[in-house]
Amino acid sequence: MIISTNWLSDYIAHGLSDDALADRLTMCGLEVESVERTGNDLNGVVVGHVVSTGQHPNADRLSVCKVDVGGEEPLHIVCGAPNVATGQKVAVATIGTTLHLPSRDNPEERVPVTMKKAKIRGEESHGMICAEDELGLGSDHDGILVLSEEAVVGTPFPDYLSAKGISTSDTAIDIAITPNRPDAISHLGIARDVSALTGKEVCRPAVSIPETGDLVSEEFSVSIEAEDLCHRFVGILVKGVEIKESPAWMKQRLLTIGLRPRNVIVDITNYVMYECGQPLHAYDADSLSGNSIIVRKAKAGSSFTTLDSKERTMPEDALMICDAEREIGIAGIMGGENTEVTDETSNVFIEAAWFDPSSIRRTAKALSLQTDASYRFERGVDAEGQAWAAKRAADLMVELANATLVEGMIDVHPVPYEAPIISLRAQRAVDIIGTPIASDEMGRLLEAIGFGTTETQTDPAVWDVTVPSFRPDVEREIDLIEEVARLFGYDNIPEPTHSRIPNFTPGMATDRQLRERLRDVLAGIGFRETYTNSMLPVETAARFNDPALPGGRFGGEVVETLNPITTEMAALRPSLLPGLLRVAGHNHNHGQQAVRLFEFGRVHTKRQTNRTLVGDYTETETLMVLASGRWQEQYWEDDARDSDLFDVKGVMDRVFGAIGLEMPRYKQRDASDLASWGVDILLGKRWIGSLMRVSDDVADAYSLRHDGLVAELDFTALAEAAAAAIRPTFQAISRFPIVERDIAVVVPSTQPAGPMLEAIRRAAGDLLKKVFVFDFYEGKHVGEGNKSLAFGLRLGADRTLRDKDVDKVMSRVLKALEREFDAKLRG
Amino acid sequence: MDSPSKSAAEAAVQALSDLKADIEGAVLDTAEAIDAYRIRYLSRKQGQITALMKRIPDVAPADRKAFGQAINAAKSTVEERLEQATAALSADGSSSAAPADLTLPGRTQPQGSLHPITQAARLITRVFENYGFDVAEGPEIEDDWHNFTALNFPPDHPARDMQDTFFIEDAEKDHGGILLRTHTSPVQIRVLEEVMKDGEPPIRVIVPGRVYRNEAISYKSYCLFHQVEGLHVDEGVTMADLKQILHAFARTLFGEDVKMRFRPSFFPFTEPSAEVDIWWHDENLPGGGRWMEILGCGMVDPNVLEGVGIDSEKYTGYAFGMGVERIAMLRYGIDDIRILYENDVRFLEQFS
Repeated sequence: MIISTNWLSDYIAHGLSDDALADRLTMCGLEVESVERTGNDLNGVVVGHVVSTGQHPNADRLSVCKVDVGGEEPLHIVCGAPNVATGQKVAVATIGTTLHLPSRDNPEERVPVTMKKAKIRGEESHGMICAEDELGLGSDHDGILVLSEEAVVGTPFPDYLSAKGISTSDTAIDIAITPNRPDAISHLGIARDVSALTGKEVCRPAVSIPETGDLVSEEFSVSIEAEDLCHRFVGILVKGVEIKESPAWMKQRLLTIGLRPRNVIVDITNYVMYECGQPLHAYDADSLSGNSIIVRKAKAGSSFTTLDSKERTMPEDALMICDAEREIGIAGIMGGENTEVTDETSNVFIEAAWFDPSSIRRTAKALSLQTDASYRFERGVDAEGQAWAAKRAADLMVELANATLVEGMIDVHPVPYEAPIISLRAQRAVDIIGTPIASDEMGRLLEAIGFGTTETQTDPAVWDVTVPSFRPDVEREIDLIEEVARLFGYDNIPEPTHSRIPNFTPGMATDRQLRERLRDVLAGIGFRETYTNSMLPVETAARFNDPALPGGRFGGEVVETLNPITTEMAALRPSLLPGLLRVAGHNHNHGQQAVRLFEFGRVHTKRQTNRTLVGDYTETETLMVLASGRWQEQYWEDDARDSDLFDVKGVMDRVFGAIGLEMPRYKQRDASDLASWGVDILLGKRWIGSLMRVSDDVADAYSLRHDGLVAELDFTALAEAAAAAIRPTFQAISRFPIVERDIAVVVPSTQPAGPMLEAIRRAAGDLLKKVFVFDFYEGKHVGEGNKSLAFGLRLGADRTLRDKDVDKVMSRVLKALEREFDAKLRG
Repeated sequence: MDSPSKSAAEAAVQALSDLKADIEGAVLDTAEAIDAYRIRYLSRKQGQITALMKRIPDVAPADRKAFGQAINAAKSTVEERLEQATAALSADGSSSAAPADLTLPGRTQPQGSLHPITQAARLITRVFENYGFDVAEGPEIEDDWHNFTALNFPPDHPARDMQDTFFIEDAEKDHGGILLRTHTSPVQIRVLEEVMKDGEPPIRVIVPGRVYRNEAISYKSYCLFHQVEGLHVDEGVTMADLKQILHAFARTLFGEDVKMRFRPSFFPFTEPSAEVDIWWHDENLPGGGRWMEILGCGMVDPNVLEGVGIDSEKYTGYAFGMGVERIAMLRYGIDDIRILYENDVRFLEQFS
């Protein structure tokens, strides 16, 4: 909410500069977001008298005027306004004056222009006769501003204005009002806090509240059917209003706080709302059928046209204002077109009511219609502020719109306000805030913002605190403690010099430990960590909801949001793959040949599983590794080489090894839309993830310029498997030598090595410490359709192995290879 | 006996002199060569010097001393060379000679990096871990209860507008709606619920995690970001304690002389609530800088504690939450949040 400092100073002489005021407000919980000076200082603008006017010799639309501004000679000024005439008193910007004029391109924007002596179509001009908008006093640019007759020639224009209660410049302070401060959504509300901070008095405009009943109730009747939703309805009638523009001072204030002035009646209702926080509505009294008003719930689905000419369908339970025949307003949100004040209106019925905050909020939400009124009602307006506000508006209509007040007031008040009384234990406040604040001080601070206090017990001190009607947010002792702390000043709470840490041992969650370790390992071997968006188009999510990947493996549906920002972000990712492919493509397009990436992140699917925590959703963390393009750069003794399967398998070995797991097994999968080939990554029988080369279709869709090799691991499964390995147990180191033996065999080319390694492990038994492939050969020495694989074995035991032990193992291994794979020992 | 011994002696001397060239000249640049050399001369069964020593009795007594000395000299040479060659091999792998061009560049290892969000999150969590905070995590898809209601956001209350929410299921369902969590605070509730199953405070925990906001994407806001939440519940915890720990945090991240301020604010789940600003020096600004908000905090609202069965008269607590991106952007001078999610290598490599 924006407040005008000029306006605020009507109610409190705080004596603070704008910046100091902003700072004090911020530090008491009314966060100032911006401080903006508006208007011109208008130094150099003086009151002038148009002595003569004549036609410009070279331009039909221009006049040449002689204007007396109190100097020795009248000024010669060229003027383009149609309304300039001899004898007028006008505002003249003399040479050297700087005005902030509306920009030609954008009338909302103002640019500084300094008056210079100029020749306009050959005629000299020594200044400018100003229009309202050029002076920052309104938006009118149809003609020059004509001053009242009694204006004294030569008077500085700012003096002329201030004599009329208008200030030439103002400051707009934009305050972010938190939802717990309904009392602060008005100038008087802000003044109340400023008063508490400075000790200066708040001066409210004098309003004499009429007796209930009297003449007005002979003309109008109000009844409330939905008493739970409308605790009070006040009505006042004024007659014979003159619909016209508001006076300049009011328009200026409304402009400063960002409202567009309309006509004097509408402006007054807005002005009073921003003055005291009570929304008002003005009805054209003659359009109200049956001279009666009824407050009741809407019929669900009924339609209603609001004063912005939009037809709206009413949600169930919306509270409506009705006359004898029809609905005339959505209570607390917006009035109806059928009863709005128009240029022909002469009698005005002013409504000031208290509506239930939740009801207003539900209706406003359902209609997607938030107004200044609904904003205030849904936060809670002053339960006792209706009569003051209605009468204040009526007084202003009498003063500014020549209205006649109809005696009396309608005040239907089915649920009278009862001020809550809350006990405040001074010691409890000290225990929360953490510094000794004297009990008397607490009482004083609360009194300053309108709370009533009575000390009911002195040792320990307890206060009975009466909550004022404008603080509906204060319901509990803790709310009072917050007020005390806020006004005492958070910065005045001293910090303890020592820290109390409870006797409590934090643990480190396994998965977090593993994740952090893997991040370091992957960064250490040349992978860059990424963070990608979790939200993506539904079609993309569907495409990557693939059973080969950890998210899609759950077999659930894609998770969609009900209210996405755009269709580009309507679903949650079932895999980290699309995000990383996008990053890889982006980097290929920006000249990176070597792209090695990894990411940890949550993926989502709609299906209930044993990992489900909320609803029917399964959220699981995955780790994705991507390599695309150069693995090894060109070096003076080696050639450059692109990433391939075995690089990524090596990374997997590193990942598994780093967290104490055995090396994974790989099992080939069929090609799919996503993958031109791929393997499952298994740990024993447990599925951990998959490794694949993305298909050319997918690679093209993401503009990859190299093979995309990716592995996505189910991190939850990985972490569970590794949990046992977090704290390794010591194994005695064998003091006996290791024996190394090799065996080379020839097998058909189609025979994969993986099962052979497993067969060797099985055949060799306990003595085998390690087996590895150290040579792979295809060529004429082993015959067409064959290949040679050479395995290195390391054998050991808690004793010195004898040759015959080793020979026995090697012969078992050879037999197994011969039997299972038709292998021939290579001669 | 003379003539055979004479000829045997001559043969032995001849054999020794035949060996001389190899003993002194054999190339010993590999472990295999060294091993073969040792076996060739010193092995008990096959060693040629060992064999010659056995032939000493065959040599005539007059020549025996000279012959013995010659063999011993040859043996010492072999042993010295073995020692040198072994040392040289272990010193530089294969050769003690310098490579031909020492100035050729080395074989590069690829450079990896941790994302600045990870780095900032680690920095934040480390501070609090040092003060004895545990670390907890929770789901990104949350129910309305944990994200709002249990945190003292009443239904139909404007406080719910403070956080623009992505909904997944409407509130009409039994569970009161499912949504993407708008803050990490629901994990406070999960942690409290878990502790209260079979225990009591103290609770001292921080919660890092990803959160979502339905806001237009711009240089200063993204549809998701990361938070670190903190919660401490115990007997006698006060706002003064909260100020102290956050000041310690700010000093660690922004320097010993950091200037900070606490100003009153509002969060439904804390009361009193505050926002914390630090003074950001910037010579280009009038006043030499400005206040920058870094986090929100407050004393845990009694409704939150009572809601999970904690006696709010006995226990009090504080909670705080901060945006990791914001902290990272401040520390590294990043002016557009979107670049964090673009993952351009030229950006990432600045954080190696």
